[in-house]
Amino acid sequence: MNRLTIERIIKLGLVNFWRNRWLSLASALVMTLTLIVISIFVILTLVIGRTSDIIKSKMDITVYFNDSATTDQISELQQVLASRPDVKEVAYTSKEEAEKIWEQTQTSQALKNIASELGENPFPRSIAIKATDPSKLDAIAGVINSATYQSIIHKVSYQDNKVLIGRLISITTFTKEIGWIFSAVFVIMSVLVVLNTIRLAIYSRKDEIEIMRLVGANDVFIKTPFIVEGIIYGLLACFLATILLWLGFLSLQPLITEHFDPGVALGVRVFYYSHFGWLFLMQFIIGVAVGIGAALFSIRKYLRI
Amino acid sequence: MLIEVVDVCKKYSDKIHALEHVSLSVDKGEFVSVVGPSGAGKSTLVRMLTCEEKPDGGKVLVAGRNILQLKPHELPYFRRKVGVVFQDFKLLPQKTVYENVAFALEVCGAEPKEIHDKVPRILDLVGMLKRRDNLPDELSGGERQRVSIARALVHSPKILIADEPTGNLDPVNAWEIIDLLSRINSRGTIVILMTHNKAIVDRLKRRVVLLKNGKVLSDKVKGGYII
Repeated sequence: MNRLTIERIIKLGLVNFWRNRWLSLASALVMTLTLIVISIFVILTLVIGRTSDIIKSKMDITVYFNDSATTDQISELQQVLASRPDVKEVAYTSKEEAEKIWEQTQTSQALKNIASELGENPFPRSIAIKATDPSKLDAIAGVINSATYQSIIHKVSYQDNKVLIGRLISITTFTKEIGWIFSAVFVIMSVLVVLNTIRLAIYSRKDEIEIMRLVGANDVFIKTPFIVEGIIYGLLACFLATILLWLGFLSLQPLITEHFDPGVALGVRVFYYSHFGWLFLMQFIIGVAVGIGAALFSIRKYLRI
Repeated sequence: MLIEVVDVCKKYSDKIHALEHVSLSVDKGEFVSVVGPSGAGKSTLVRMLTCEEKPDGGKVLVAGRNILQLKPHELPYFRRKVGVVFQDFKLLPQKTVYENVAFALEVCGAEPKEIHDKVPRILDLVGMLKRRDNLPDELSGGERQRVSIARALVHSPKILIADEPTGNLDPVNAWEIIDLLSRINSRGTIVILMTHNKAIVDRLKRRVVLLKNGKVLSDKVKGGYII
């Protein structure tokens, strides 16, 4: 196929698109919606996955001791844990340090004074254990929960964290599953709409196709303009989806800044822009693939040459 | 013989036999009128000759080659060698006279220079050069048929098949079209005219093949229209 033929085929595709412009635009918009839905689910899955990774890496076991526990007992447990190969770090927090942390994290003065008003420091001593790998935490928790130490331990925070992590993982899985279902439904929907649009384009150009066939045009010349049309839908949808997602992100930013701390807002911004190219490529591939796929199907089904 | 139709049969259902054992030979430079009433099988024969439909039996040889055995990718090239003209002209309404003829070359990958050279020459041949920028809607029936003939001639075909080309025309315009077809024939192109217009056939005094109920009833070198 020479340059001239390619030019003519592209021109015919563009003419097809323009001749049924409202229908073409509707098809491109449905495809845009599909790409937006898929992108949102991909972003959500990535964000939740990343968050749970961060939480997992920060996960530790905090053991709070009864006030009756002696320093020796605590340091014995501390040594037992520190000597384990799967323990990365054991950090001790005294009652005074715990109070300071409390004071620093509270914004209300009344709450800050609560400890001094009580007359005695209500915060327990604690040790925070970090594992070399979060999956090792279970084994470490087993040692801590053994009968030997029950008398000195007030509370172990691991169980609470474990529930939280479990919930996070189930949310991720749920989001992924829902994402797949929604994406599949939308892909099918846009394939059907594009298919129908191209079918109508084939129908509206019935005479032209007949004449092309009659005067000896190649199959490629007759069929390819419809594939070009499909590609145009995909490209248009890809650009529209990118622009709309970007606008959506821009309008969400003030909300993120308002409700979360500046670090989070910056993190989200960095995350979005670092994945921008990747998202665009994904939309481009899905858009063009759906366009070509639907066009090919339509040609096979409705174009008799 | 350039065209040989050998024992061709075609049936659309048990009751409708469009063609029954039709045999026909056409030599170089011939002008053949195939006549017969509606439903005689003329249009089916056209579709066999242009390879749009395959017969149930028999073979169709063009320049010694059985066109029924053409591979799909060879068909477009074959169709460029056979020009076809229809009763309803089949022009694209949104394209001008010039564009309609140029379109036939464009879709076959012709270079712009070839298009610029050929189209005006062919429009001149059919007497439509002056109307080159008009749309089909602005033309009379006869003029439209001339454009349709110009388009059919654009690939310099060896064979021109005209399926009821005068069916929508008044007698004056009809005769002008037949006159044009005769001139094209005199330049060496085989013309196969499908018609049921008695006046035209009688006046032409050329070979006439009579088709009725899918069968060849007569084949006369200088015939008239007798059923």
